[in-house]
Amino acid sequence: MEFKARVLEHTKGTWTIYPGLCKGCGLCMAKCPKGAISWSEVLGVYGTPAVESDDKCIACGICQMVCPDCAIYVEKKK
Amino acid sequence: MNYPQIPKSWNIESKPHKFCPGCGHGIALKALGMVIDELGIQDKTVFGVDIGCSLLAWDFFNVDTIQTHHGRTTPVITGIKRANPELITIAYMGDGGGYAIGSQHLVNAAARNEKITVILVNNTNYGMTGGQMAPTTLPGQKTETTPYGRDVDETGYPTLGPEMVAAIAREGAYVARGTVANLRQLKGFIKKAIENQMAGNGFSFVEVLSGCPTNWRTNAKETWDFIENTMTQYFKVGELKVPGKGE
Repeated sequence: MEFKARVLEHTKGTWTIYPGLCKGCGLCMAKCPKGAISWSEVLGVYGTPAVESDDKCIACGICQMVCPDCAIYVEKKK
Repeated sequence: MNYPQIPKSWNIESKPHKFCPGCGHGIALKALGMVIDELGIQDKTVFGVDIGCSLLAWDFFNVDTIQTHHGRTTPVITGIKRANPELITIAYMGDGGGYAIGSQHLVNAAARNEKITVILVNNTNYGMTGGQMAPTTLPGQKTETTPYGRDVDETGYPTLGPEMVAAIAREGAYVARGTVANLRQLKGFIKKAIENQMAGNGFSFVEVLSGCPTNWRTNAKETWDFIENTMTQYFKVGELKVPGKGE
């Protein structure tokens, strides 16, 4: 099964969201130390908004760790 | 990249999984999946799920899975381990199955020091039936059946499962309590619990403090606050019994 990726390029890293996995629980948003995550126009699997991040992202990977659905993938730029 | 970063042992065909948005089961099973990947034991693992929300994990992994009722996962997994000691057997249950209706099985398996791993997810209520009071409901916590908060004079104090298991288990047992708010630590506990079983030392038990936003009626921020600040005040996170270290 394939899930469509939405890749967002930031200064500190590459932030990928799979809206087909995001259920819109918001756990990542509450855990983000920089407040970089917000709701987006793209809808997730239950028809709720999927999340997106902005350039405040420091690619720490906490959102990837706490996501119960593995919908987020963060890669730090070296 | 069109393939999400999920543990290799997860069954991608059944994703997104059936748990509610924000459910802690997803994080606990992510930690377990990462441990199965790291130890490379996917082809010799048997995963047993209990009744309740945990049964929604019946097609979660690409490993052999069995589903039983009301805490009987522990004896079924014990039987599989005794019949074929080569296998690595993991029982996965909730606090309703493990501490309420199935506590006899948990207690007796711990007393016999069975060489199995039990992972018990504690979300302080009965999630699947609509959020009724469970043995682990905190004093004063509002649930469907305690609308004015849990009254400890009437219903007693919450069950401290790992403390109970650590008290009755013999030398060689591994008992710990982790939380979904700290995935790295939780992964370490689950890894040690499975390695303890592989080494044949004895009973391994990990309780996971988890969230239930649907039945707690909390938003994401309140969910984390309840797990990290309220639950951990009563349920202390850490290792309670490590083989070779005594109590």
